Parts: sequence; structure tokens; C-alpha cells
Amino acid sequence: MLQQSTTEAAASRAFKPTDYKSELKPIWCPGCGDFGVLQGLYRALAAIGRPPHEVAFISGIGCSSRIPGYTTAYGFNSVHGRALPIAQGVKLANPELLVIVAGGDGDGFSIGGGHVAHAVRRNLNLTYLVMDNQVYGLTKGQLSPTSPRGLQTITSPLGSLEDPINPLLYLLAYGCGFVAQTTPADMPGMTAVIEQAIRYPGFSFVNIQSPCVTFGEDDQQLKVHKSSMKPLASLGHDSANLLGALDLARAYGTELHTGIFYQNPTPPPTYEALVKLRQADQAPRAVAREHILDAYLQK
Amino acid sequence: MTLPPLDFSKLSLRDALDLAVLIEEEARDRYEELANQLIVHHTPEAAAFFAKMARVEEIHRQKLHERRCQQFDDEPTSVNASMLFDIEAPDYDEARAFMTVRQALHTALKSETKAHDFFVKAINKVKDRLVVDLFKELRDEEVEHQNLVKAELAKLPPDAEGKTSDYADDPVGL
Repeated sequence: MLQQSTTEAAASRAFKPTDYKSELKPIWCPGCGDFGVLQGLYRALAAIGRPPHEVAFISGIGCSSRIPGYTTAYGFNSVHGRALPIAQGVKLANPELLVIVAGGDGDGFSIGGGHVAHAVRRNLNLTYLVMDNQVYGLTKGQLSPTSPRGLQTITSPLGSLEDPINPLLYLLAYGCGFVAQTTPADMPGMTAVIEQAIRYPGFSFVNIQSPCVTFGEDDQQLKVHKSSMKPLASLGHDSANLLGALDLARAYGTELHTGIFYQNPTPPPTYEALVKLRQADQAPRAVAREHILDAYLQK
Repeated sequence: MTLPPLDFSKLSLRDALDLAVLIEEEARDRYEELANQLIVHHTPEAAAFFAKMARVEEIHRQKLHERRCQQFDDEPTSVNASMLFDIEAPDYDEARAFMTVRQALHTALKSETKAHDFFVKAINKVKDRLVVDLFKELRDEEVEHQNLVKAELAKLPPDAEGKTSDYADDPVGL
């Protein structure tokens, strides 16, 4: 009853970005792209208007995975690469929660890479924000799965011999219903994209080019993004066009396209909606809790 | 400086004052954020300067807010914080661990210049005479602020030689 009354009270008022900001001061390096991402996230949440207690942030490990602590929402700074499975558990346990998953490119595409495909095909209503900085910043600058070929780091002093993963193609190929890319160099655009991703009824993915100011490349910094980014809207791209999205996504790493690559115009039912239907279907045959073990005991 | 997607031609004096308040509020909050970032990263001198800037922006905000209340009492507004980004607030990527006070002052100077450019562009779009007058006043204030920052810069001794990036990746202790 108390929960219901606080929710009703919350619904009757508008939320400000600062309502989602916790007292904890971020320890990211000054100049880090994640500060802008966090600000955009606060603003997107205020636009969505759900009270902080109806929102949960789940993250893995890494600089960007510290985000749950910097919000007033529920949060779980969890295990490296395991943010997606944990977020799916949270969403299934409480489908009414707005669940946002946050992490870096290493957490998402290397350590947790195997989970992405399953999160996409399961299609729970989650929003996955990856702060892609092409490097493992927290552990002081090793190659990450999105590091460009030739990148010199402390683990690749002669330059990386590998091509990077393309997160956009990766998610599109798995059938993700909402795929976008943005940068905190475009705060209004980034905020709008995050808001639309949250509003999408299904699994949504936003690749945020969030520069590492300490170990990142000079040509990946926000000032360069400001002059180099190409909004997809200005290219006349129709976000309902999957083939067009796949074609544009191929330019990851060479062009900074921003905006929504693909948004399924007819979103399929979410996993949690299907679970509800299954539960309703099975309800007439449901066995009372106290009799669940009977079938085993009779054997 | 790109103008926010607002219809400036329809901006009333009440909303223009509210917008000005929000601009100062955003700048105050950003300076506070930068000050906190630099405190965490052991850069107390530049942090103190940013904290001072936050107090200055708060004074400007209060003055504009009082003016708004005197003229329009508690009339509802039609502008909000989501309508503007980084008008006078320094860009997030301006801060650096171990930045000098001189570098911090340059950050402030860029922000005052940015705000000045905003008002110059906005004046060309607004139709209401009273709003034009307000924006001209605020534009001129930004020039005064730039001059104050320049005067502070002139008093500073030159920065010591050496690249801050040589030691900027040291572990952070809290």
C-alpha cells in the first residue's frame, strides 16, 4: 500500500534531471566522455518521467559500469561481463521496473560477448547502453574488442593485429529491434536517442562513443566528434530500413554516424509478455503450491 | 555555438528571463561538477577556481530569478532545462586532471565567449523588443565577464614547463 501511494504521488509530479543524480561523486578522469553520458541519461530519465524507485541500473565492471552508483535509482554494479543475464533476471522478477544495462565495450563484447546474442533473441524490454571507448581504461589502457587495427597500447606496443568488433553490425545481425549510435559531443541528440531507446518496447541497444581522455586516441575525443559526426537524419536514412541500416553500420570505425540505425516498426512481443501469456494459458492446469511435490512422492 | 531548437521569435520576456536563469543554473552546476572532479583528482587550485565560478554563476542566477519574480511573480513558465545544453556551461571535456589555474581560467573564458555568441545569435531571432533589450544587456555582461577573466589571467605567472599527460594516469586515491 505504501509503495502504491508513493508511486501515485510520484506520477503526479514532473521529474527533474537532478532527481536521478546521487550524492556520490564520479571518480572518472576529468574530461571523460562518461560525464556527458551520465548527464544525458539524467535528462532522458526526466523526460521519461518514471520515479527513481521504478528504475534499475545493472552494470558489469569497468569505468562506465560505475553508473549505477551515480543515480538515485536501484543499482547493481555486478560481475564482469554479466550485466545482461543479471538484468534479465531483474526484469523477469519485477517486469514493472524500467531496467537499463550500462557498461563498456570490453565488458559487453569481450567478457560478456556471449550474452549479447541471447539477450537480443530473448527480447526482454531492456535498454543496453554501451560506452564504447575502444580501450580498457580502468585497467590502464589495454586493447579492447573495439580497438582499431594498428592501435598501440601497453599490450600491443607494435600495434594491434586484429580488426575490431563492429557492435552495430553485431546487434543488427542478431535481430535487435532498436540499434543506435551517439556521442556526448551531441548532447541533445544523445539524450533524444537514449530516451527513444528506453521507450522502445523490447531489447534496445545504443552504442555511445564515449572517449577515454587518458588512454584514448586523439582522433576519438569529443572535440573531433563534434566536427566529424554525421547524423543519420541528415543522410536521409529511414530507421525502418534494415538493409540501409546494415549498409551504414559497416562504416563503424571509419565514419561516426549518429542517430537511430534501425527501429523495428512492428516490434514483436517481449519475452515477459510471452511469459504472462504462457502463465495465463497454464493457469487452469496449475497445481497448488502445497501439491507440487506430490507427483514425485507418488513415484 | 548552435542555438537550441527554440522558437526565439515567440519568446516572451517572462520566458526569456526563465531561460537566462536556466543558463546560469546549468553553468553553476557544471562548474560545481568540474570542481568536484578536480578535487577527486588532486587538483585543488583549479578546483577552487571552478568552485568560485560556480558561486559567481549562482549570484547571476539569483539576480535574474529575483527580476523574474518581481515582474512576473509565480506565473508558469514554458521553458525548461531540457531545452538548452552547454550555453554558458563549460564543456565536459575541458577539464583535465592536474590542469593549472591558467588552464581553468581559459576554460572559463571559452564559456563566457560561448555565452556571448549565444546572445548575439539569439538577438537576431527574437521579435519582442523587451527580450532584445534583455539579451543585449546579457550579451554585454558576458563581455564584462570575459574582461574580468582576462584580467585574472594577466596576473598569473606563466605555467611551469612539463607535460601534465606524463603523470595524468596515476591511480586515483580517495
